[in-house]
Amino acid sequence: MLEVHDLSVKYGYINALNGIDLNVQEGEIITLIGGNGAGKTTTLMAISNLVAKDGGHVFFKGMDITELPAHKIVQMGISHVPEGRKIFPLLTVKENLIAGTFGSKKKSAADLENKIAEVCTLFPRLKERIRQAGGTLSGGEQQMLAIARGLMMEPDIIMLDEPSLGLAPIIIEEIFRLILRIKDSGKTVLLIEQNAAMALQVADRGYVLERGNITIEGTGKELLTDERVRKAYLGI
Amino acid sequence: MEYFIAQIVNGLAQGSIYALMAIGYSVVVGVVGLVTFTHGEVIMLGAYASYYAFTFVGENIFLGIIAAFFASWFIGIFVYKICYERFFDSPRHISLICTIGMSMLLKNLAQIVFGPNMKAMPQPIALNFVNVLGVRINTIQILIIFVVLSLSLGLYIVNNKTQWGIRLRAVSQDKQASALMGINVRRTAMIGNSIGCSLGGVAGMLIAIYYQSILPTMGGSLGLKAFSSAVLGGLTEASASALGGLLIGLIENLGTSVLSNSYRDVFAFIFLVLVLIIKPEGFSKKVGG
Repeated sequence: MLEVHDLSVKYGYINALNGIDLNVQEGEIITLIGGNGAGKTTTLMAISNLVAKDGGHVFFKGMDITELPAHKIVQMGISHVPEGRKIFPLLTVKENLIAGTFGSKKKSAADLENKIAEVCTLFPRLKERIRQAGGTLSGGEQQMLAIARGLMMEPDIIMLDEPSLGLAPIIIEEIFRLILRIKDSGKTVLLIEQNAAMALQVADRGYVLERGNITIEGTGKELLTDERVRKAYLGI
Repeated sequence: MEYFIAQIVNGLAQGSIYALMAIGYSVVVGVVGLVTFTHGEVIMLGAYASYYAFTFVGENIFLGIIAAFFASWFIGIFVYKICYERFFDSPRHISLICTIGMSMLLKNLAQIVFGPNMKAMPQPIALNFVNVLGVRINTIQILIIFVVLSLSLGLYIVNNKTQWGIRLRAVSQDKQASALMGINVRRTAMIGNSIGCSLGGVAGMLIAIYYQSILPTMGGSLGLKAFSSAVLGGLTEASASALGGLLIGLIENLGTSVLSNSYRDVFAFIFLVLVLIIKPEGFSKKVGG
């Protein structure tokens, strides 16, 4: 469904990505793990065309989206929940959710309310805070809002950038349960995580990114038992 | 005492024009994310658009508003295309300097096209005085306050009650996140810029009617006052900027009632400097993310 061929990105003369290949099939949870500065976020930014690519191609449903502007890529059905949540702090929770629908076809007022209600069943805590400004939410709530906003456009694939970053363990578990529920609802997930243990437990397949190269790939289970992964990322 | 009250009324009327300019300014700065120095010229061109509408079509106030609004809307697009669009990823001072250059260009073009001399502004409504609760207020002042209030209300409704408002506010808060929502950031910024310019243009018409005169170089000090008012409001917050504009109008008129009329601008800018010394964040009470 989403294919990345030989993708390279340079920041100045520093190579952030050296020709990586990855593919995501429909209905899968794919995870991309790696340390700081490995190029995980850059990969997503390059897919969404938020950073200029140095080379390579991105295909979505067979279409070449390498050169499409960022908002057009979103409109194709790729939802990108960025690192650091990036919710709109001065918009209310509801307005943030409505902003999430701008990438899809315009909805009628009734459909919009239904969609908000539907997303709120996944995130009951947002419902309690629906009129509050996004900036007043706690970190975990903001992350839930960011994911909920990403789901509002009914994307075919949702790309989550470090959803567990800076959250308490109990909230992280809640987020990962949500990710599984998102998969169960028929969506494809591309998950970027530093928390490799959690990510590999939920993922169908995973890629390990090191200094801009994909070094290991395999199913979630294979990676969990892989000696190199265990040493470097699971601390076992 | 009566003179004092009359000056307060004058100050409120003039202040509400500044408020409208400042609201326009804060919309531009908010949505585009860059400071502009062309706002004064947009204000001036809006005033000229209504001047020509009054002269050649008819002295109807609605006609004047429409002419000023749409003329400045298109000037807004022009300014956007030249000064902002290609410079979003460049350092900020580049588009800032571009707006300064654009301001000079428009001012001098206006002198060539419209003539460098002051002209009498047609008066679309007759000047009469009415007593409201014992305060003498003239019809032009009533007109000004009415137009400013309705446009501000219109902006408030667009901003807070429509999906377009969510788009505009999203873009002014975080452009990258907005792009990830599927918002066409450049187009939204262009329209936001035009909305801000249009409010400035209508304010230009109002100030020309208020002073009964129009001049190609009128934009200079007006643009600075719009900028100052917006600075008082923390640059991007429309309501606080409006308060800044209102206060500058009041201070100017109260100041001129104590000292000479030629110190008008001095009062406005001394006030700005004082506020920035005492309360550098202005009247804004924005919460961070």
